[in-house]
Amino acid sequence: MAPFTIDLRELKFTLFEQIEIQRLLEHEPFRELARDDLDMILDEACKLAREVFAPAGVAGDREGCTFEGGKVRVPPSYHEPFRRYCEAQWLALNHSPEWGGQGAPRCLRTAVDDMFFGANIGLNLGMLLTPGAAHLIEAFGDEALKQIYLRRMYSGEWGGTMCLTEPHAGSDVGSVSTKAIREGDQFRLEGEKIFITYGDHDLTENIVHCVLARIEGAPKGTKGLSLFAVPKYRVEADGSLGAFNNVVCTNIEHKLGIHGSPTCTLNFGGSGPCLGALIGGEHQGMPAMFQLMNDARLAVGLQGVALANAAYQAALGYARERLQGPDVERFKDPEAPRVPIVRHPDIRLSLMRQKAYAEGCRALVLYTAYCMDVARCAPTVEEREEHAALVELLTPICKAYGSDMGFRVTEWALQTFGGYGYLRDYPAEQLLRDCKIASIYEGTNGIQAMDLVARKLPARGGANMLAVYKRVKAFIEAQREHVALGPAVAALEQATATWSEVNRALATAAMRKDWLMPLLHASPYLALCGDLLVSFMLLQQAEVAWRRLVALCAAAGVDPLDGAALRRLATSDDEVRFYDGKVKTARFFCASELPRLHARAAAITGADRSALEIVFNGE
Amino acid sequence: MKILVTAKRVPDPEQKVKIKDGALDLSGANFIVNPFDEYAVEAALRLTEKVEGATTRCGEVTVLGIGPKDMSQQLRSCLAMGADRALLVEGSDEGLDSEQVARVIVAVYQRERPDLLLLGKQTVDGESNQVAQLVAGYLGLPQACFACTIEASADGKSVVVGREVDGGTETKRLPLPAVVTVDLRSVLPQSVRNQQTPATHAYPEGPRYASLKGIMASKKKPLDSLDLATLGVTATPRLKLLSLEAPPQRQAGVKVESVDALIDKLRHEAKVI
Ligand SMILES: Cc1cc2nc3c(=O)[nH]c(=O)nc-3n(C[C@H](O)[C@H](O)[C@H](O)COP(=O)(O)OP(=O)(O)OC[C@H]3O[C@@H](n4cnc5c(N)ncnc54)[C@H](O)[C@@H]3O)c2cc1C
Repeated sequence: MAPFTIDLRELKFTLFEQIEIQRLLEHEPFRELARDDLDMILDEACKLAREVFAPAGVAGDREGCTFEGGKVRVPPSYHEPFRRYCEAQWLALNHSPEWGGQGAPRCLRTAVDDMFFGANIGLNLGMLLTPGAAHLIEAFGDEALKQIYLRRMYSGEWGGTMCLTEPHAGSDVGSVSTKAIREGDQFRLEGEKIFITYGDHDLTENIVHCVLARIEGAPKGTKGLSLFAVPKYRVEADGSLGAFNNVVCTNIEHKLGIHGSPTCTLNFGGSGPCLGALIGGEHQGMPAMFQLMNDARLAVGLQGVALANAAYQAALGYARERLQGPDVERFKDPEAPRVPIVRHPDIRLSLMRQKAYAEGCRALVLYTAYCMDVARCAPTVEEREEHAALVELLTPICKAYGSDMGFRVTEWALQTFGGYGYLRDYPAEQLLRDCKIASIYEGTNGIQAMDLVARKLPARGGANMLAVYKRVKAFIEAQREHVALGPAVAALEQATATWSEVNRALATAAMRKDWLMPLLHASPYLALCGDLLVSFMLLQQAEVAWRRLVALCAAAGVDPLDGAALRRLATSDDEVRFYDGKVKTARFFCASELPRLHARAAAITGADRSALEIVFNGE
Repeated sequence: MKILVTAKRVPDPEQKVKIKDGALDLSGANFIVNPFDEYAVEAALRLTEKVEGATTRCGEVTVLGIGPKDMSQQLRSCLAMGADRALLVEGSDEGLDSEQVARVIVAVYQRERPDLLLLGKQTVDGESNQVAQLVAGYLGLPQACFACTIEASADGKSVVVGREVDGGTETKRLPLPAVVTVDLRSVLPQSVRNQQTPATHAYPEGPRYASLKGIMASKKKPLDSLDLATLGVTATPRLKLLSLEAPPQRQAGVKVESVDALIDKLRHEAKVI
């Protein structure tokens, strides 16, 4: 199998040349870090991902998880990478130094996770959940809980999970029926959770579950939910492990993908008392979850992005090597040499789309993570609020569009391999299988779309939307006359105008109290926003790239507007190739993909209700 | 044990080589630590650390680099792996030949007086494989090149080195101070050990990855610059680069009709038979 490839050059370009995350280092709490440190951290993560995570990613898919004699085991090949990852302190890269974290920006963590997810999503899911659960305790737990759990979780000594889902409470979290019964200053938990990622495993000696449950007598719906820290083994006063806490895994699921990640059914308190401690206030479970929801959703969008990039790299590698058919210009000549398929126009178009979506969505996710950091560390309230507004709007788009387009990219990549793509011998099929889950968990993409139109768009009097609009508009104003990107910028301008029209149509429907129209069109609306934002990201990249390209061409004595000369230079010079590739990708996207946005808009504003009105067979 | 390790920076072998006006164009190059030198750093760390339980070291590792100022980045990555300090002798990447490099190392050796001088067996750019041998000769020290195993003796006065030779390994005991170069197999899990390494201890294969703490700590470790004048090195290069060109593009092959035609071509065109 072809080795896993990371385009670190691309990742660093997006971080340092497009988004300029180094600007964060001027502010607390990041002043201790220098640009060099960020580079070293990325280089080191890249090595670990490629050399240690990736081999176990393939092996783990084959080995899968096992459930025997009540014990869950992760793939044997996961143990060594897990140990090395924790030893090098990656688990809490962006968490607070007070509890053993490294205090790096969220966007750096995102870039690092891009590589780890791409290399081995099954294992890296565990690496995501443990600090996620610890962060909940850090943000809302009392001092005693923090003392017991945080250091052990941030170091990877103990694992962590998020337990929301129950058989009758999936998207509808408000239906959670797990009970919490007061017992002294603790609570006794009773109920069953399903689909719990890393709910049980043999990587750590203890696991801390963050469980949503209803205290006896609490109101129905989400308002009556509280959050509990429930360990697998109780913890004694001196910190040592005590008795089994009656959290019993009764089953693991057999799934389409992420075979290395155990998906567990957990029974709480069925075999004896199961004690948990309240995290935060009574009935404050959902507000707590909401605060950290953006974090988790962004991480799931990132999974789509990471696998898309891995798939694109694999497809590109294959297309360069696979010989099939003659060059189109000599298609009638049986003597013509067979060429690598990367020379065929249809393959080129597919590779270009893969590249555009993989890199465009990556930029969007990294930018959103950057906004999270700015919302936390910018010196002025206005800046912090404005970036918080951006995060609100962008997060559901990153989650749903990132995972949907990520999956599409893995599909196109598989197609590039032809019949070999369908085989286990090549990486494409696993990437496709592994990617699918991202559109489902952490709030299905349908739920994300509803969140966008019903909550995020109208919230703060439209300020979320305006914060995005302002940035796109400023870019258009500044670049309208661009020598190389003019028509692409014009396409973005048209798209932005259409977006505004759709926003008006949605607002009008809401004013008329026609709630069904926005909800019916929520998913296409989210996709429309995604198209717009990806074109914006790609154009921002192209604008930076063009400046660099002009300088490189000047040094080489080449006119950057002379296509043939530029192509020659790009073939021999990696940097020229890279920047020219960025310019061409943005142009391609604006010319060939962005027009679809207008069709989507027409479908939304057309407000056809047939799908609501039809009576389905047997309904 | 006090160890001096050399580390050269080399252009990333995965990048395309650019040639401009008859010379290598390194302007856009991405530099990495020469892999064999990275193995030498790993060996030095294994020779000077207490692996199980204890946090103290049983020795000191100094990394020496010769190159432009921004080579400090590669030296920092060695510090992040765990080396204690670094020395940078400022010079250019190009135009330094084995003779000059060897003279610089000799001068630094005389200032530092380490017990062991560890080098990679060769660099992956120049591939000369001469420096260690020259240094050992100039210093009159025992040498063992192409080490696949190194073991420090209990009294710390010698090392036992397994050398890769044609058809097997040759084992040598070297009184210290000595010069050793490492080969690929020195990074296998049990190939390098000090007096205290438990017999069962197995390292992960390969040079270690820096931990995040290591990366942050590397900023605070001493990285001192020296120049040739201070060291009193005046050696002039003995090598002259006459020209440099990329290998010609491979031409497409032809199919011959018969064995005779093949022999004819081999004889008259290729002139190999
Ligand atoms: C591999 C895996 C790992 C998981 N890990 C975890 C975990 O660690 N912790 C955890 O708590 N959960 C976890 N889950 C559960 C996951 O979050 C849920 O499956 C998801 O939220 C959807 O719930 P559901 O499966 O009950 O689907 P349903 O809620 O039944 O949804 C079915 C379909 O109906 C749509 N739908 C439902 N309600 C509405 C509505 N009101 N309006 C419009 N459309 C609607 C959905 O979008 C979906 O397309 C995991 C699931 C899987 C498969």
